Amino acid sequence: MAGLILKDLMTIQRQLKTQAFVLIFFLFISIFMQQGLMLFTIIIFIVTFQTITALTYDEQSSWDKYANTLPISKGDIVLSKYILSILLMLFGLILALPIVFIIHRFTNNWASAAFFPTFILLVTLAFCMLALLLPIYIKFGSIKGRMVLIALCFIPGFLFGLLKEYFPDMTVILSNIKPYMFVAPFAGLLILWLSSLISTAIYQQKEF
Amino acid sequence: MNAIEVYDLQKSFEGFALNDVSFSVPQGTVMGFVGENGAGKSTTIKCILNLLKKEHGEILLFGKDLVEHELSIKNDIGVVFDDLHVPETLNATQLDKFMKKVFKTWDSGYYFERLAQFKIPVSKKVKELSRGMRMKLSIALAMSHHPKLLILDEPTSGLDPIIRDEILDLFLTFMQDETHSILFSSHITSDLEKIADYITFIHNGEILFSESKDVLIYEYGIFKGDHEEVSVIPEHAIIRKRNGTFGTEALVLKNEVNEVFSLEKPSIEDIMLFYVKGSV
Repeated sequence: MAGLILKDLMTIQRQLKTQAFVLIFFLFISIFMQQGLMLFTIIIFIVTFQTITALTYDEQSSWDKYANTLPISKGDIVLSKYILSILLMLFGLILALPIVFIIHRFTNNWASAAFFPTFILLVTLAFCMLALLLPIYIKFGSIKGRMVLIALCFIPGFLFGLLKEYFPDMTVILSNIKPYMFVAPFAGLLILWLSSLISTAIYQQKEF
Repeated sequence: MNAIEVYDLQKSFEGFALNDVSFSVPQGTVMGFVGENGAGKSTTIKCILNLLKKEHGEILLFGKDLVEHELSIKNDIGVVFDDLHVPETLNATQLDKFMKKVFKTWDSGYYFERLAQFKIPVSKKVKELSRGMRMKLSIALAMSHHPKLLILDEPTSGLDPIIRDEILDLFLTFMQDETHSILFSSHITSDLEKIADYITFIHNGEILFSESKDVLIYEYGIFKGDHEEVSVIPEHAIIRKRNGTFGTEALVLKNEVNEVFSLEKPSIEDIMLFYVKGSV
């Protein structure tokens, strides 16, 4: 498991360095626009989505064909991607938080009271995105997976737009659940864990 | 003891099927696995490695069922495909770091010795290496945890004769330990003539023969003559015959043919061609 995570980190090493330049660009923009939240969102999503980059590199090189000749269980191969994504998110948070606080300190643009719920919501959202993305990419690969993902996002979005009047107001729902928000990241982790079980089941059925 | 035993293996795809494939690789020997492109070599190897799920049959490695003892068995095997399937952004040094975490028996010293022997740059990315270099790196990776069995799927295809010779020498060194075995799939029969002890020939998903190389080369002979001359040879001595522009050729059992007939020594390629293109 540790070997797989190490291999993924080495694989995306260069990609991470490139992303660092993107982050510096956004750092200046957020300071200029006095928007710490924007930088926070970008950092979390960029680092988390590196797991998808690692999966794409694996797919391009038919890595799974090779990995399955090594004494590594299929469960570990899948789980390593989930652990990698959590590790990258932690790294993103550690990187983002001090910068966001500094921007906040100098701009006073971001109400402290709103920080915690926003932070929790973003982390949960990233967990949920990964919980959806990883099984799709493991099942369909990066090219087909992208199509499936678009279909999965577009169809419910389209239906939601069409039948909007039949759905309750989302802002009311959000304000109602606000007191329970602290459990959201744990719920996100639970969804991610369930997603890992689905991904493992998918992977075990695959042939290479 | 056999390093590999395959019994009645079946696996089907649209338009192709492995049909009751059975053969074994005795420990301490090199088995050449030959057949034309699409004959079922890679499919059989993938089933042996559990990369493809078999539909029927039994596969034993070191006498143990592969699916039940997958991880322990895979500790003792090294695999080389016709290309190196690792992310192209990695280099040989990074692969050493990864392998150290995968195999308890990983021998970095041996690995870097092989890299030096093959003149593989340790910090060059896989994507920057030539095909020959990638294959040599793949072989170094497969051998550096000191496996007991090497499973090689077309490891020399597309390589020049010099590199192929170097690689074959390395396999011969590996075989100096009598507990080691190799299953070597290739359609370059000259490579197999150099190192194989046994030859298994697969055609259209079926095993046509699995025989000692010496038996094939020294007990078989090729008779070349016209149709009338061939008809004098006893029928039970003829394995296959085929008609060409300049007459008829027959693959025969040497011992069953009178010494007055002049026979040529067949190559593995000749025998393959007789089996595929000839008739009984």
